[in-house]
This record gives sequence, C-alpha cells and structure tokens, in this order.
Amino acid sequence: MKDFFAHWMTQNFLVVAGIALIAWILWSGAHHERWQRAWVRLRADRGGMIALWVVGIYLFIGALELIHLPNGKGGHHSILDVAFANRVALEKTYSAPLSDTLLSSASGEKLTGTHLLGTDTLGKDVLVETLKGCSTALVLGGLTSVIYIPLGTLMGILAGYFRRWVDDLVQYIYTTIASVPSILLLISLMMVLGKGLFQMSVAIAFTSWVGLCRLIRGETMRQSERSYVAAAKALGQTSAAIMSRHLLPNLMHLVLINFVLGFSGVILAEATLSYLGVGSPVGTASWGNMIDGGRSELSRDPLIWWNLTSATVALFGLVLSLNILGDSLRRAFDPKRG
Amino acid sequence: MLNHIIRRLLYAVPILFGVMILTFVLFRGLQSAQFIASQAVGAKAPQAAKEEFIKKEGLDKPLPEQLARFVGRTMQFEFGESWKSKRDVGEIFTQGVGPTLLITIPGFIAGIIAALALALYQVFVRNSLADRSITLVCVAMMSIPTVVYIIFCQAVVALQLNYFPASGFEWRGLETAKFVVLPILIMAIVNLGYDGRMFRAVFLEEVQQDYVRTAMAKGVPGAVVLAKHVLKNGSIALITLVVGQLPSLIMGSLLIESFFGIPGMGNVLVLAIQQGDQPVVMASVYLGALLYIFALTLTDILYAAADPRIRLS
Amino acid sequence: MIRQIARLSAIAAALWLAACDNNPHPAALRETDDDGTKWSVRYQNLPEDPKSFDPQYSYDQMSRRVIEPVYDTLLEYHPLKTDPYEVVPCMLAEMPKHEVTADGLHSYVCRLKPGILYHDDPCFPGGKGREVIAADVHYILQRMCDPRVESPFLAPFAESVVGMAETNEAAKKAGDKLDYDTMNVAGFEAIDRYAFRLRLKKPFPQLLYWMAFQCMSPVAREAVEYYDGKEHDGKLRPDFRKFYAVGTGPYRIAEYLPRQRVRLERVKNYKTTVFPSDSHPPEKAEFLAKLAGKQLPFIDEVQMTILRENIPIFILTRQGYLDGMAVNKDSFAAILGAEKTLSPKYKERGMFLEVDREPSTFWIAMNLDDPIIGKNKKLRQALSASYDPATYSEIFMSGVAPVATQLLPPGIYGYQKDRKNPYGYNLERAKQLLAEAGYPNGRDANGKQLELTLEAISSGSEDRQRSEYDQRHFERLGIKVKVSENTFARLMDRQDNGEFQISSGSGWGADYPDPENFYMLFYSKNVPLAGKNYCRYRNPEFDKLFEQMSVMENSPERLAIINKMSDIIAEDVPVILTFNKQFYTAVQPWAERTHNNLMMEGGIKYLVIDPEKREKIRREWNRAPLWPLGILAALIAFAIFHAVRWNRRQNA
Repeated sequence: MKDFFAHWMTQNFLVVAGIALIAWILWSGAHHERWQRAWVRLRADRGGMIALWVVGIYLFIGALELIHLPNGKGGHHSILDVAFANRVALEKTYSAPLSDTLLSSASGEKLTGTHLLGTDTLGKDVLVETLKGCSTALVLGGLTSVIYIPLGTLMGILAGYFRRWVDDLVQYIYTTIASVPSILLLISLMMVLGKGLFQMSVAIAFTSWVGLCRLIRGETMRQSERSYVAAAKALGQTSAAIMSRHLLPNLMHLVLINFVLGFSGVILAEATLSYLGVGSPVGTASWGNMIDGGRSELSRDPLIWWNLTSATVALFGLVLSLNILGDSLRRAFDPKRG
Repeated sequence: MLNHIIRRLLYAVPILFGVMILTFVLFRGLQSAQFIASQAVGAKAPQAAKEEFIKKEGLDKPLPEQLARFVGRTMQFEFGESWKSKRDVGEIFTQGVGPTLLITIPGFIAGIIAALALALYQVFVRNSLADRSITLVCVAMMSIPTVVYIIFCQAVVALQLNYFPASGFEWRGLETAKFVVLPILIMAIVNLGYDGRMFRAVFLEEVQQDYVRTAMAKGVPGAVVLAKHVLKNGSIALITLVVGQLPSLIMGSLLIESFFGIPGMGNVLVLAIQQGDQPVVMASVYLGALLYIFALTLTDILYAAADPRIRLS
Repeated sequence: MIRQIARLSAIAAALWLAACDNNPHPAALRETDDDGTKWSVRYQNLPEDPKSFDPQYSYDQMSRRVIEPVYDTLLEYHPLKTDPYEVVPCMLAEMPKHEVTADGLHSYVCRLKPGILYHDDPCFPGGKGREVIAADVHYILQRMCDPRVESPFLAPFAESVVGMAETNEAAKKAGDKLDYDTMNVAGFEAIDRYAFRLRLKKPFPQLLYWMAFQCMSPVAREAVEYYDGKEHDGKLRPDFRKFYAVGTGPYRIAEYLPRQRVRLERVKNYKTTVFPSDSHPPEKAEFLAKLAGKQLPFIDEVQMTILRENIPIFILTRQGYLDGMAVNKDSFAAILGAEKTLSPKYKERGMFLEVDREPSTFWIAMNLDDPIIGKNKKLRQALSASYDPATYSEIFMSGVAPVATQLLPPGIYGYQKDRKNPYGYNLERAKQLLAEAGYPNGRDANGKQLELTLEAISSGSEDRQRSEYDQRHFERLGIKVKVSENTFARLMDRQDNGEFQISSGSGWGADYPDPENFYMLFYSKNVPLAGKNYCRYRNPEFDKLFEQMSVMENSPERLAIINKMSDIIAEDVPVILTFNKQFYTAVQPWAERTHNNLMMEGGIKYLVIDPEKREKIRREWNRAPLWPLGILAALIAFAIFHAVRWNRRQNA
C-alpha cells in the first residue's frame, strides 16, 4: 500500500485527479446563475484578475514539478527537471546571483553554470529550489483542502440542517477544538504524528475545518428558512437529496472563498512550523525551510540574501495573490457586503 | 445578572473537559506506553526504569482509568515533571509567565491602538488614494510570515541600528523596557494588517448609519464624529474581533521569545518542541485553551453587563 | 496644562533614552571590591542550560563548563601544555605516587594540600566552610557506589579500584537503608588527615586523568545531606543533585536563572592554585610573564548568558557585549577572510582569532547488528569511500576542520600523522566496492535499488542541510537514502537501543587524552547499555588487544598495539570517519586569552580582562543613527497633513 502511494504513476494520477476535481467544481458551478454573475463582476475587477493569473502561474509551475515522467533509466523525474533543473549544474556551495565564482573559496573557483539567483549552501540553484517550492506549497495546500473542505462542509450542513442534537454535538466539537490555540494543536499533532508532508496536512486540516464548518452551518441555517427548501420538503424529497441538490450548490461559493483564503493560511503555517523544526522533511524544497535556512545566513559576510529573499518573495507573491483573489471573490459573490 | 454569569461559567465546563479529552487522546491514546516511557526516561535508562515509569504514570491501566486520572490531575494543575529538565512543569510555566505577559499584553494593546488609528484614519480619508494604498499594504502585511518580520527586525533594528539589545531579558525596573520594546513592536506589527482591515470594515459600516449623517449635517466636525460616535458604536463588534484573536497571540510570543532569548512561556515551549518534551507541550495545550475560554467567558459577561438586551437571548 | 504634559513627557523620554542602551547584561554584583579596586566582570555565552551542578552527575559539556570553576579537582590539566597534554597537581600537594607491591598489586598514594576550604555555606556549623580532608575522597567513592546517585562514572572505577564493585553490590541490596557511616570502599585507605592510598585490582593509568575530572572533585557530605530538596522548618532546601553547589574552587555560583544566566562570583579566600610559570608560548611570553605565579583567579565575576540562537551570539560579539565567541558555520564566513585568518574588518577592530585543537573525531556510525549493513563489510567500505569530508568541511566549517584519517584525533597518544584512511574519499573506488558488495550500480541481484535509512538530528536548518549533504553523497552511488529526523535525545535513544542503520552526527570528544578513551567505544563488552559501543562492533581480536592496551603505560609496545587496533578499525569500517574539530574562537581586544587547552572546559580561572578598554571600545561600536526615526516622524507628519487637506477639500 505504501509502495503504491509512493509510486510516481500513482502520484501523477492523484495530481491530475486533483486538478480535474477543481475544474469540475468550477464547471458545475458555472451553471449556477449566481456564479455566472460573480464571474462577470470578477472579470471587471482588475486586481482580482491579476491575482487570478498569478495564482494560475504558480499552479502551473507546481504542476510541472508534480507530474513525473520516466527517465529511461528505470527512475523518474519531474517535467520541471526535464525542462529546466537537469540543465542547471550543481555547485559545491554558495555563489552570488549571476556570479561565475564560488563565494567562499579564496581561489575564486569557477562555477560550472550560471545561476540567475545564485546557489545555496549545498550548491543548489536557488531559482530551481524556489520554483520547486511551489509544488510543496501546492501539495500541502491541496492535501489539506482535500481533507478539511469535505469535513467542514459536511459537518456544517448536517448541523445547520438537522439542528437540535446534531447541531449541539457539532458545535461542541468545534468549540472545543477552536478553544485550543491552533499553533499549539498543530505542534502537538506534529509531535505525535511525526514529520512528513502528509502528517502536516492532516494536522493543518484538523485545525482549519472549524472555521469553514462554522461558516457553512450559519449559511445553511439561513438557507433552510428559504422557501425552496420548504418546497422541496413538501415534495417529499429526502434530507440527503435536499442537502446535496439544493443546499450544497447554494453554499459552494463560500467553500470556494474559504478554499482560496485557507490555502494562504496553510502556506504561512508551513513557514512557522519549519522554524519550529516540525516542518517539511529533509530534501523537500519548501519555502519554509528556505526561510529558516536563510535566517542565519544574514549574519554572514558577504551577506547571503538571495536564499531568504527568493523564498520570501515567492511565498509573499502567492499568499498575497490568494488573499487578493479571496477578497475579490467575496466581493464578486456578495457585492453588498464585500 | 448572577444567573447569566453562572450559566456562562457552566457552559465553559464541558468545553474544558473536551480539551482534556482531546489532549489525552493525542498524547496518550495515539502513542504506545513503551514509546512514551522510552521518551520520558531517556537514552541510558534500562528496561526496568521504563517499566517503573509506566507503573508510576499508570500507563498499563485501561484507557478510561488513565483518562480519569489525567483529568483529576489536570484539574488540580498537576502536569508532572518535564521529561528533559526534570523540573515541575507547573513551576516552569509560572517562572515564564512574567516575561510573556510583559510582551504580549503591551504588544496586543499597542497593536490594537495602531490598528484603530490606522482604520480611523482610513475611514476619515475614505476612498482616497491613501485609503486604497493602505488597504493594499494591509493585505500585503497579512501575507508575510511572522518569522520574516522577526528576522527583519532583529537583523536591522538590533544589529544595524544598535537601538535595543539583540537578545536577553532582565527585570530591572524601568530599564526592563529596553528588552521588550522591540518584541512589543513586532507583536504590534504582525497583526496590524489583519486588524487594520477588519476595523476599517467595522467603521465603514458604522459611518453609513443615519446618526453619522445627521451629526455631519448638523456641522459636527468629521474627526469628532469618528472619535465620539463611530468608535463607541463600533466597540461591540471590535471587542468580538479582538477576543477572537487572543489565541494567535500565543504564536507571536512563541517565535519572538525564542528569537530574542526572552525566558518566557513561549521560549519554554519552543525548547520543549525541539526536545520532544511532551508534558510541557501537553500542559501548554491545556493552559492555552483555559486562558482562551476564560477570556471568552469574561467578554460574554462584560457584554451582558454593558448591554442588558444580550442577557435575554 | 497641555504644555506641562508635553514637558513632562519630554523629560521622561529623555531620561528613558539616557538610561536605555543596547547592553543586554544586568548590572554587576557590585561596583568595587572590598579593597576599593574596580570589580571586573567577564561576559560569555552558554549554548544551553546545564543539567546539574552535582560533580557526580555532570557528564555533559554545559554542566561541566559551569562547575569547572566551582569545584577544583585533585589534579588538573596544565593550561599551556597541549602536545602532549599533561596533568599537574591541583588540590593534591604533589603528583600521586605509583606503588607496586611485592605481590604485583598497584596503588597510588596521594596527599591533599592542607588548608583547602569548602566555600562558606549554611550547611556547615557556623556557616564557615571546613577544611577538605582525605575522608572526603572516600566520600566521592561512596557516592559513586550508591545506586541512588546513578553516577555515570562508576563503571571504570568498579573495574579497577579494589572493593568498588562489591560496595556497589552491597549498596544495591541495602536499598533505602544504605548507611554511609558503615559503607566502606576497601580500596581506599586514609593514611593521615590529608594523605590516602587507592588500591587497584589491575593497572589503571587513566586514573590520573580521572582525577582531573569533576567526578573526582571532593564534595562535603554535610552539603549533600543538607541540600536534600525537601522541606525543613517550612523552608524548601534546594537539591544538591540538581542545582546547588558547595565547592572548593575559585568561584561560587551566585545565581542561576534557567534559560537566562549563570553568574559566578569569585571566592575571597581561595588560595589553592596560582598561574603557572612554565611552558609559556614564545609569542605570548611577555604578556604571560606578568601573570606567572600570581594568585588565581583574576576576574571577580563571570556572567554566562544562555543563548540558544546563533544570531544573537554573533550580534552581541560584534557589539562588544560578549568577550569572545566560538566561531560557528555562519559567522565563519563573516569573521574569517581568505587564507583562514581573521578578516581585515575584524582585525581593524583589534580582535584576535585563536585556533585550538579539540581532541575529538567525528563520524557517521553504522549499526553492525543491522542485517544489510552489518554483515556486509564491502558495503560499509563503499559508503565510506563515497563520502567526501573535505567538501563537507569546506561547506560547513569554511574548510578549517581537517579530514579525519583515523579514529584517534591529533594530540592523543597513538595518532599517526601520515596514516591514510584506506577507504577515504574516492567515488570510483566506492562504486567498484559497491559492486563487489553485491550491489552493482546500487541495485541488488533482482535489480531492486538498495535503500538505506540515515538517522539524523533535526534541531535546526543547519542540521537539515547537513543531513541533505550526507544523503546526496551516498546517493551518488546509485542507492536510495531515506533521512529520518530525530531530536537529539531520540537519536541517542536510537543509538543505545540499536534502532538505526546509519546514524549521522556522531563522534567522540576525549574525556581524557588516552587512546583507551576512544577504543573503548568498540570494545564488545561496552555494547549499550553497559557502555557506548553503539555500533555494536564485536571483534575478539580487537577485544584482546584492547584489554592489553588499556592497562599499559605509554611505551613502544603499547604504540604497536594501538597501531594494530587502528588498522583493524580502518578495515572493518564500523564508522565513516569525517573530520577532527578545530576550534576557532574570536577574541575581543580587551580579553586576550591566557591558555588554549580544550581538555579544560573554559579554564575560567586563568582568564584576564581589561574593563576600561572594553568600556571605551563598546561605546565606539554601538553608535545609534537617528535618521530612521526622522523618516518615521516625516511619514506621520505627512499623513496628518494629508488628512487635514483632505478634510478641508471635503468640507469645501
């Protein structure tokens, strides 16, 4: 089972499946009049559109790193490696951006390649590492969302629709979880589960479904008062049908907004966890690890800024775009309150 | 009123109990007794010592019995001994409370004042270029990880400008200030983006109310209206927002204390995380939740005191 | 009214700014000494909290750094002799006399200096410290034998000193009823008030080195029994086994704030040692001549600030708030220029760079009980040959750490300068060895890629980079290496329990400068939990040589055996040798160093300081520019101006 999931073909399939899932949600939403109106409004929002494009580019780069091809020698490598990384030489250690010599050596040892953003302590190209960081952010964000969004939505709808003891129970569970400061809960989970991207996703998902659930519960309660739900009930439709066919489509926009904003939260959380030493495992190119590594490099002379800066800028670019996009979506779906 | 207070307090009890169960399941349910013992007793310990630890902590008992014991001890604030330093966890935390509060409370208040000022300013000049650019800056500030703020402040303000000590903490009367100014500043800045935006939204909603228009029409200066009426009427919404942020304070102090070598609770916790010192982390989960629930209940009661209508609902 | 408030706040701000600077240290314990001379303070850092102040419990470096100035030892390392190291009398009046009786039994006769006093403490009658006598040495041995003390030092003594093992057994049986009054170590014999004899079961030349270790520091029975960590008359007494010390050394512990600071204060009536008059290195002869024969210590107070992060250490050193720092990975690049000397920027500041040899060897350990790696010598040899320690040293230590060619580090008897590691770095050879091991191109007979697990420490970004380096170098063989991350304690645990395949971040720093201290790590009877042979190396031939060598005094015969053992280890490759540590210290202009012996944990009592010079330079290094405040003020002013204008335009 473990081997199966570790296989590159499986991973490719999962990535494609994930992207297909998002596409399906968007496509099915597109039938909905509300989404169409929102799309028109979003198109008019210049900031939102730029953010959307930027997020799209990040997604594309991440996908390049995530999809693997056989390398003809029995192994496999990512499209990004084929297109780009394999042509970039590995150096011995630090070199400055666009420099042609190693930084540390007094003899001015020549580099074997050019590096737009320099190399890090182990001689890896910082640009490539930064690009690869997209995929880590994506995997984390994706895995987390896959866990917490269905969970939060389901619990929220159940609580909001059935009310009474179901609502009491769900409320009790999420109030309890929410009352533990999320960073402490995250750390505890990581401590018990151990290190790894999957474990981190589970931990972050465990702390972030609460917000979504609360939101969905409130909105479900509001929608349940509406006449269309009463009509459906009168027609004798089952609760499951009402929830999935009538309520869910009217809630999906909230899920979408929460998904976008939640994604940025995941990326920020990774940076914090990396500093605490419970972040991504060794060998994964992650912005959090790069920032943590770049921290002490600031005390060097000559100053090594490119590692920290590249990772920070890349992270900042994605999180900022996600935040702006989230705001724009909220405005687009709900122009009065946005 | 008394009735309301009691009701609120009673409501907090099952939640606290839930937190205890959560902690217990995490640290006791998901890990084997052998594993816990070998982590706790340490590297060189013989098997006999591990068995003894398991006996002492009752890890060989059935889970419900263990849970009962755990709840009983936790309610009396008995968290046992740290696995690494072998000191009493309660004692370790008590020692760290002072410095932590000295940073978090002023940092929190300074952050809120700064965000209020920013939001009021934005509402005052609403829809101008300044307003829009500040909003954008706020979103940008939300998009920077806390770690980066701290790295920047330490590298620039402490190292290049020589304003404040780069690290350390002393109780020394007024002079204590020099150790905490920079951490407090960071505390205040970290949440500024988020708070500023939220507060702006609250004020903007208020400004559109009728009473503001009436006051303006009467010729009351805009600044006075903002300071007197808008701030007052928006305060309930503000308090809700502010209380909701209390848990995130912990993260700020966690990172800041460890960067600046301030011997507070955050520092204890970071060390415990790095060393895998579970009793300390367990205690912090419980205490963190306790503090938050306490703050929540307190604000509820204060609301009720301020506005009798709330009591009815 | 408003003007008053403004004036008051201006005064307050000015006062605060004046009182406020970037000095992180607390005020010294006092301004001047009793005789009116200025009170001198040394500031240094401690990377972690000490674990205990009890000499019988302090094996870790942090604890030893703190208690070395507090507890004098029977013998001590000569601060200026490092090649070879030499122990000289400290609390003893002269070196122990080695006697061999007619029936071939060995013993040492030792004599304490008369008049050495314990520090004043309430545990003594009248609060006055009493004299150290021979019976106190007996008490050390008694404590070692007491199972409740859990002394990590018992094993070597139990093996060699007459009666220790038996007393330990008896004490175990007695349990809580153990009575120190009747407990007796047969090998100890008090000759008079100051002199005593230690009788040995077999030759134990390392005993002299152990006498320079704090585990052989006399402690007062009164202190141990008084400070029991229990409540007496409503007052809780500290626990001697944890953080309380009643010593005999030049300093006492004035303050210990966990995670903050340890503060040492000079003991007034300390007279045991003086600065040595011999072996001054020629380049420092003039400076040291002034100190020779003077009463130690020279500094009145030592503040050890506990700093776990590297950046503050570097910043505080640059600002002059630490009197010296160990140069770490990132500060290397800042402090060292080309040719591995001090960079011009720091030379200008008047700083010095001191390079010391630390008798230690680092390695990557392999578990010989592991089914894949343990039984396949060629595989281990291949891994060893694939690893490039020189580049490692270049990346992580600016190339100053020399590549280890043998288990013994330089400075230890038996180290051979021109010995080569037969499986040193050679990638082609490594690939060939791997093929011979049964994994051509990293794949076994079925074509399955060989997968190994490397246990690593993950306490920070530097550890992560190190692990990635290791991983990448092994993977060049075509094999797959999984890195499993552990806390330091967990890794130690794994090593002891044998739950590892390959373990990075291992090594050994000499407890004492004798090859036995290194080879014992591969003696089959020392497999954990009995000892530290965590590689689980078992070789009868090696064991026999070890048993022979460990009881010999240094001689050509001993050297021959040592060399043979080196050959065996080199061929069997239980560990992949990486580097020997060179210790670089950046020293401030006002704190010139007086010794360079790393067998001591700091040698604080020998250090000197020039506080006036420090005061002057510090001021120079800490000027605060005001322009950033100006920019801030301008920004606020602009915002106000903008608002006012906006308001006017709106109203108009």
